[in-house]
Amino acid sequence: MRVTVLPRLAMAATLLATSAWARRDGGTEPRDRTEDKACLECHSDKELETDLDSEEVLSLTVEADTLARSVHSDVDCTECHTDLKGKGDDHKPKPFPTRREFTIRYSEVCKDCHFQNFTRSLDGVHHGLQAKGKTEAAVCADCHGSHDMGKPSEPRSRISRTCAKCHEKISKVYIKSVHGSALQEEENPDVPSCTDCHRAHDIIDPRLNAWRLETPQMCGRCHTNEKMMAKYKLSTKVLSSYLQDFHGATIELQKGAGGGKPLTALCTDCHGIHDISKVDAPNSKVMQANLVETCRACHPTASADFPAAWLSHYEPTLKRAPLVYLVGLFYKFLIPFIIGSLILQIALHLWRVVVNR
Amino acid sequence: MSDSIRRFSTKQVIEHLVLMVLFIALSVTGFPQKFLSASASQAIVNLLGGVGVTRLLHRISGVLFTALVVWHLAGALISIVRRRGQLSMVPTKKDFTDALVTLRYYLGLSRTQARFDRYDYRQKFEYWGLVFGGLVMVTTGLVLLFPVATAKLLVGQVIPAAKLAHSSEGLMAFLAIIIWHIYNSHLSPDVFPFDGSIFTGRISRERMEKEHPLELERLEGTKEGAPRGRG
Repeated sequence: MRVTVLPRLAMAATLLATSAWARRDGGTEPRDRTEDKACLECHSDKELETDLDSEEVLSLTVEADTLARSVHSDVDCTECHTDLKGKGDDHKPKPFPTRREFTIRYSEVCKDCHFQNFTRSLDGVHHGLQAKGKTEAAVCADCHGSHDMGKPSEPRSRISRTCAKCHEKISKVYIKSVHGSALQEEENPDVPSCTDCHRAHDIIDPRLNAWRLETPQMCGRCHTNEKMMAKYKLSTKVLSSYLQDFHGATIELQKGAGGGKPLTALCTDCHGIHDISKVDAPNSKVMQANLVETCRACHPTASADFPAAWLSHYEPTLKRAPLVYLVGLFYKFLIPFIIGSLILQIALHLWRVVVNR
Repeated sequence: MSDSIRRFSTKQVIEHLVLMVLFIALSVTGFPQKFLSASASQAIVNLLGGVGVTRLLHRISGVLFTALVVWHLAGALISIVRRRGQLSMVPTKKDFTDALVTLRYYLGLSRTQARFDRYDYRQKFEYWGLVFGGLVMVTTGLVLLFPVATAKLLVGQVIPAAKLAHSSEGLMAFLAIIIWHIYNSHLSPDVFPFDGSIFTGRISRERMEKEHPLELERLEGTKEGAPRGRG
């Protein structure tokens, strides 16, 4: 059935009469469904659709069940379809040139209630692309849906599946990773979903240097969490040991000096990004047997023993890195001894000068 | 300037000056890399134009320091081979007895102070500390400059060991200079506020009599030996 302007005056009158008090009043009383019912009278028709300028066909069907299950089940139709408020059933089909244009334009109404997240999304990479005319970049409804709106993180794995709708290639890599597989297969509450690293609304372009330079702190958010890491018997010293070393020190100083392209390896350069695996997995980039190949990404002529230059986030001990341990021990005694002796000499000299006066 | 005596040659004055400039440059560009979390570290790095520039300056200074060490040691070696000059920096048995005599004097156990030649035991100690410390800094610095080559020639573990030695030795050298050298050439009541002899090359007769009586006697032929060249 094509939408035609069939005035149903009675229905229009009802809508006009009820719209004033149909809104939620504190949520304690059951909501008046008169408006929904009025809209659904036409829009539950499974064949209701309209032609767009682009010759695409836009379905106008809304199923009552879908609406009822959605998180917005207590939101009136015209709270989103604001332009139809009080219009009744004599509204004209709206002139959207394409289906995409329809989705993009309708996502703007989310701002009315979800102001904070909407504003955040204006700083996001998707909005940036939209502003450049890339209409395929995600808008609210692309991730959240429309009439079937559910809680985006219930279950948590839903987040990653949502991103996968567009980012299919990366998603395939991610779900095989130590983080992704634990999320998809076990609904593990600790592993990061896409939005834990990339954020949900103000998503930063991950290729930006400023974002990349924050990688150690980002990984550190979980990997320095004693309670969480204890569950998986993982060290929480990974961040501090990284920062003490040449790679980490460089990144820290670079970040403080205004950024730029990362000069040395970040967490992700050795461990991988979406393909990150357990350190002892056979395909792990940081497994001893594979480590030299990983080093060679930046140090192309690295020899077989070059990886031994990196203490794998461990403190040097007599057993693990005897040479480093002994050098440390040597200076631990030498520095106080030498400097102490010099200070003692000065003190004695000054004392003698005072006594001789 | 009849009451002043020439103590250092122009070569020695210049060597000290270059060493001083390089030491400051290496400290300024080195410590921000060791003490990351100090706010001054980031300020210095930013002032120099970023960590890349800071490292480049550190490496250039390090290469120049290496050249200075080689130059100085080669010069010393040549003068030894040619048997010119005196080996006035070589520690002798007298230095150890001088140290004990001085200690007794300081503690008030004895009223006689040791009489020193061209360099007293403290100056020799500082000199050799600089030579050995400098060699440690040069070798470990080269390891850090060429880590891949180091892992090929030696073993990978040498690299973090060199890094730790470089930063520890650097800290020790810095503290020694700040505490010991600044005391002896600026703050000590004997020279306060400034001992300029290494810059002017000259020292007063009065200080020579007090601090280096044996050399003065030798220079003026008042005791054993004829005047000798500078070492």
